[in-house]
Amino acid sequence: MTKKLTIALAGNANVGKSVIFNQLTGLHQHIGNWPGKTVEKAEGTLHFKGYVIDIVDLPGIYSLSTFSLEELVSREYIAVERPDLVINVVDASVLERNLFFTLQLIELETPIVIALNQVDVARKKGIKIDHEELSQILGIPVVPTVAIRGIGVYRLLEVAVEKIEKGESKPRQIKYGKEIEERIERIASLVEKNGFKYPSRWTAVKLLEGDEEVEKEISKIDPEVSQIVQKMAEEIEKIHGHPCSMVVTSEKYEVAGRVARKVQQIMPVTTPPMNQRAHALTTHRVFGYPIMGVIVLSIFYAIFTFGGYTSTFLSDLFYSLQPLFENILGTGILGELLWGGIIEGIVAGITIALPYIIPFYFILYILEDSGYLSRVAFLMDVVMHKIGLHGKAFIPVMLAYGCNVPACLGCKIMETQRERLLAAFVVTLIPCAATTVVILGLVGKFVSIEWALTLYIIDLVIILVLGRVAFKVLPGEPTELIMEMHEYRFPHLKTVVNQTRFRLEEFIKIAFPLVIVSGFVIKIIEIIRLLEPISALLSPITVGWLGLRPEMGIALVFGILRKELTLIMLATLLEPADLSLLTPVQMVVFTLVTMLYIPCIATIAACVKEFGWKKALLVTMFKVIFAILVGGIAFRILSFSGIL
Amino acid sequence: MGLPLTALKDGDSGIITSIKANPGRGRGGSWGFQKRLMEMGLTPGTEVTVVKSAPFCGPIEVHVRGSRLAIGRGMAERIFVETCR
Repeated sequence: MTKKLTIALAGNANVGKSVIFNQLTGLHQHIGNWPGKTVEKAEGTLHFKGYVIDIVDLPGIYSLSTFSLEELVSREYIAVERPDLVINVVDASVLERNLFFTLQLIELETPIVIALNQVDVARKKGIKIDHEELSQILGIPVVPTVAIRGIGVYRLLEVAVEKIEKGESKPRQIKYGKEIEERIERIASLVEKNGFKYPSRWTAVKLLEGDEEVEKEISKIDPEVSQIVQKMAEEIEKIHGHPCSMVVTSEKYEVAGRVARKVQQIMPVTTPPMNQRAHALTTHRVFGYPIMGVIVLSIFYAIFTFGGYTSTFLSDLFYSLQPLFENILGTGILGELLWGGIIEGIVAGITIALPYIIPFYFILYILEDSGYLSRVAFLMDVVMHKIGLHGKAFIPVMLAYGCNVPACLGCKIMETQRERLLAAFVVTLIPCAATTVVILGLVGKFVSIEWALTLYIIDLVIILVLGRVAFKVLPGEPTELIMEMHEYRFPHLKTVVNQTRFRLEEFIKIAFPLVIVSGFVIKIIEIIRLLEPISALLSPITVGWLGLRPEMGIALVFGILRKELTLIMLATLLEPADLSLLTPVQMVVFTLVTMLYIPCIATIAACVKEFGWKKALLVTMFKVIFAILVGGIAFRILSFSGIL
Repeated sequence: MGLPLTALKDGDSGIITSIKANPGRGRGGSWGFQKRLMEMGLTPGTEVTVVKSAPFCGPIEVHVRGSRLAIGRGMAERIFVETCR
């Protein structure tokens, strides 16, 4: 009979956790969300020595407090759902910081095995670690690994299963200073008496650390406990002269530091390794920026060249099948509905998703895994501050110039819900590749390239202003950049490929159904001749307020689907069908509105996934009204000033 | 009280004496930020080395507990250190 086991992977960010996850589970994995949370849950299964082992890859975190949703989810999972074992992945080259997290896991009284990863990187830095001594001090099995090359991963699994088979042996708890230890014991015994879902000693430590979540829950059971804790915290503050939470965290770090110093030998390295020189250069206050510019631009150039070529090839291939299709289903209403409504939607999806999104994600994950993205965040922090965000937000912003959908989903990189929403709001204002097609294809071609550039600048100004307003309006505390910049390293191809695959699946799941359904609806509207009444209905806005031609309203409706459709539809709807007959003012206003008015349907869907219906609709409504307002004002300014 | 971390020159080290909380909103934030810094290893008594700062008052790069951190300037201004000579 096969037995089921659950093993969780936990550790800091960028310690090679996902590489170990991929080494262990191969292709048998899937990503979902934690129930009711917008935090991702990666799971995989493997068979080992007659067991079916479920591996859960927890988010990369530095602590088990409640600073971010990731931390909350992780500790709930470990403490309440109780996996059979936690594999704590530890970066050997940054041992002290990683042990701080290990000590917190120990306090959660969960069975642990340590994967001492990247021992090769540590050795290059001149750090040698006695893993047997580390194991002895902590009372936890330690397995040295180089996950990226698969070294030690099998042994890790063996040790993990052995440990589970041997049954529970609680890891040794660390001791704090006497005055703190006494109080922890007193609080722990109070908690024990009441019965609480978390381990008593851990609860006591968290209460002294001032953890709001734990305090809220304990006071529901016994309000007296929190009063006692408060008194004790004040006593500790009086003894040490620092707030109690600071004292507890300091002491835990002291223990981590003591252990690290005991087990590691540091030999000075005479020549700084390659990756440190690369770090110095890519974060250089002068050279860092041109290097970043070249890297980002060449990536975009490569993706668009490759994407454009492949996309044309694929769509030619599909459209060459159209006559064949018409032979089978005829050119009647049914045929038209199937071809124009459904198949064209699928084709559009494929010709965009495959050639652009795949290389896009692939390169993104190479940059992330190698460590370059954190350097970009460091360089761009100042700029992002202007819109009330910090450096990490530059990553979704950069993505947005390609496509708003991955950018919206990428806002998860921000720590708090507030920052995520703010970033998403900014991201949806950025002209994506499809919008760029409209800007260049209409204004760039028929007005002038200067006016096309002016539109981009106007957009940046709008982002700056609206970003600042949203920053002021949104409730909650702003956060600043605190980020570890790990050593540069070669990305692990299998992990990068798997991540790309997951993102592609996610993109398809979100975007495809909506693009197809709404394409179908628009086709029906076209067939039952509702287009004209709609354009008449919209004409007070399009003609009266924006000074556009009535057909342009229809084009804007199509743009909800995919932004470049505004231009394509406009070219077919105009009577006579000649774009150059539009006035320059109409072109500029039309493009401005296209740029601002609505995130496309796939982006709205991505927002719904991340933030829920209410917020997604609010953002969408705001942008429609805002775009119409700005468009009308631009129309008046442009007409009266006569600069066009 | 010592100097704010931002007053150190590139390459200088200091021992953290205190982290000042920020009342109200604005750069740096208040709730949680102190705790966050400490969880990243910036506890009183720890030695930090400023490696460099990004231009135009950007974040600063520090070495602390064997790792490399980027810290936003607003927060770095609230970390007080005593310089080591």
